[in-house]
This record gives sequence, C-alpha cells and structure tokens, in this order.
Amino acid sequence: MTDALFWYGCNMTRHAEIIRLGTHMLAAVGVAAAPTGGPSACCGSPKESSPRIAEGMANRTMQRFNQSGASQVITWCPTCHMNLDDFMGATQGKQAESAHLAQALWQRREALAPLLTQTVAGRVLIDMHIGNRTGVNEAVPGLLRLIPGVTVLEHPYRAPSYMCFGLASIPGALADAKANMLAAMAATGADTLVTIFHSCHRELVGLERTHGIRVVNWVHLLAEGMGLAYQDEYKAWRNSDDPEAAIGAERIAAAGEEAVRKLVLPELTRPR
Amino acid sequence: MGPGERVVAPRHADWAALREAESARMLAACTACGACFAACPMIAYVPAAQGASASATVRGVLAILQGGEGDAAARGWVAACTRSALCIPACPEAVDPMLLLRLAKFTAQENGTLPQRDARDAMSRAKAFARLGFSETEQKEWL
Repeated sequence: MTDALFWYGCNMTRHAEIIRLGTHMLAAVGVAAAPTGGPSACCGSPKESSPRIAEGMANRTMQRFNQSGASQVITWCPTCHMNLDDFMGATQGKQAESAHLAQALWQRREALAPLLTQTVAGRVLIDMHIGNRTGVNEAVPGLLRLIPGVTVLEHPYRAPSYMCFGLASIPGALADAKANMLAAMAATGADTLVTIFHSCHRELVGLERTHGIRVVNWVHLLAEGMGLAYQDEYKAWRNSDDPEAAIGAERIAAAGEEAVRKLVLPELTRPR
Repeated sequence: MGPGERVVAPRHADWAALREAESARMLAACTACGACFAACPMIAYVPAAQGASASATVRGVLAILQGGEGDAAARGWVAACTRSALCIPACPEAVDPMLLLRLAKFTAQENGTLPQRDARDAMSRAKAFARLGFSETEQKEWL
C-alpha cells in the first residue's frame, strides 16, 4: 500500500535530480511518496490532438492511481495537475487528494523551515506565469523566503500561459516572455532567475550562458538551503559547447546511441 | 475516508460525454460579448485577429466547437490559446472560455480544421532522457 504518489509527469525525465530532491523533501516533512511518471503514467496531454487516444492514456493512469491505494497524489506538472481535475477526475473519479509539490511543502512549512539551515546568497526573481491553478505562485515565494539569505524580489510581470511550454510554439511569444523577464530582473536588481516548472527551466537555463545570470529551479534553491547536494545535468548539457561530450560516451551508449542522437542532442543544441 | 471511497465522484461517463455536456452548456450560455477575447494576452500573437471583431471571433470559435471552420481570427485564436485563464474571470456568463477554446481545438484537430500537434517523438524522447538520468533502479521503480 502506497501512502502517496509523487506524480512527476512525462517530461520531468529530463530532471531526475528534481524528482529525487522533491521526494526527499516530502519525506523530510512526513510524506512518504513514491515517484511515478513517464509514458506509463501520462495524463494524455501529448496526444491531445487525438482526444480518444489521450483519454485512453489518462484513464489508464487514473485507474492506476485509484488502484494504488494512495491517499494523496502530489503533482509536479501543471498540465497533469489540471487534467487530473478537468478530465481524469471528472470522468473516472478520484480516490486520492491532490496537491502540487509546492503546495504540499508549503502546507508543511513548520516541519520544513527548521531543515533550511544553510545560507544561500541570492536576489531572486521568480518566473511566474498567469493561468496557474496549482497554487505555485503563492507557495513558491513563501518557500523561498524560508531560506536564510535569499531575498525574493517582487515584480508585477507574469508571463502568459501557465508555463513556458505553450509559448514555445507561438511565434514571438517565448522571446517576448524572456525579454520581459530579463527586463524585470534588471529593474529589480535580481541576480538569480528561479523557474517554477520543468518546461520553463528547459527554456530559460540558456539565459545563464547568454546573459550572465544564474538560473535555478525553486527545488534546487530549497535543496541548497537544506544542504542537499545535487547536479543540474540538463543545464550543464544545454549550456555546454559540446553536449555529447558533456554527457559522455558511456552514458550515451547505455541510454541507446541512436535514440540520444535522434531525440536528445537536437534539443540540447537548439538555439538558446 | 475508507478504501475505495472517492474524493471526487465522476461527473461524466467519458470524455465524449464531458465534451457533449460542456459544449451544450457553453453554447447555451455564451452571448458572444467578446470579453474573453479582450482579456486574452495571446491575441497579440494572432495576426488574423488584429483588428478583428471580438464578438465575431467568439462566434467563430463557437462554430469551430460545433464542427465548422470558423474564420481565420477564430482559428488563429484557438491555435494560440496557452491557457492563461484570464478569460475565465472576464466572462460575465461563467462560460469558462478557456475550456471552450480547448474543446474547440479538440474538434478542430479531429476534423482537420487545425493541424494536429506533432507529438510522435514525445514519449520516446522522455524515455531517452530517463535512460540518461535515472539509475537502473529508478527506471524500474519510477517509470
């Protein structure tokens, strides 16, 4: 019997360290959550152009959740989070409470705060988006303010969409969001851009190389406050001159050279 | 809460029933006032919607929802919706225009009015990254 599931979604497979850290943080505040995600626990969103296929995927995932016995589903991906409410729960019913990871940690901040013992220097601006029903725009600033040394700066800019993924396919929209966020950082004197979601992290880490700012995810910053070691390999690969060399031949061979060449390297080498 | 008890009961038998019920509700409630169009931050990225009538564009979206083609502004708006959700509080009739646009997109992609998203490699890519970043144990337990 599983007490809780940490449903990290599909595209978080790029960020294993965030899954590890999130799971560790949940355990530290009393929630034993089993990570689950990837293609076998999909909300159906990637196949939404074919709703019947998306429905089949979502139904399998919901049935898996309902049969797991878990009393809580802790979400990460905002697409999954909204589909859980709007389609999966509406058609399959829900046997578990659900909350985003940031909400779950914020609700347990009395247990979390004493664990944040390390000072982390940073004047941070958070890449906030409108359209979020996950509660992150309230929870993430609150969590970061618990970290000694971190100054969370305020700026009214909020990017359209609920995360950067939606903007990437609309000509001009992601570039505008990046420019507006950089302008907000300059206006507030921020030295660190904090991403909330994986797709935003994926799109914005390149600014670290091109604009000389620090880009971290909010989970990374919390981890630093807790003294937890981690490596943001996706950022290292994305900002490397030679991602193939940065990953290393042995790991590429183990993951499947053809798949890495066809599916991974083009993403890591696209324009920043 | 006991084992097997539902936190949320299903409101619809399946997605088709959900779409049918929500579409009927929206078509009955929407007055095409255009408040949702005016509130949307993505209109700036829809060339065909520049200078378009808000009310006419909403009527175009309602036509797409019902299987029609709509006009260029409506098709562009449906395609450009990124679920910013500002339309929801803007709507005086509680239509949930964000869901309206999403359901219209479902229909448009099913009948070819809008192209389907190319997600052929999405799952293979997620698996490839997992093989790079997850340990063997994590691959067994997390995927």
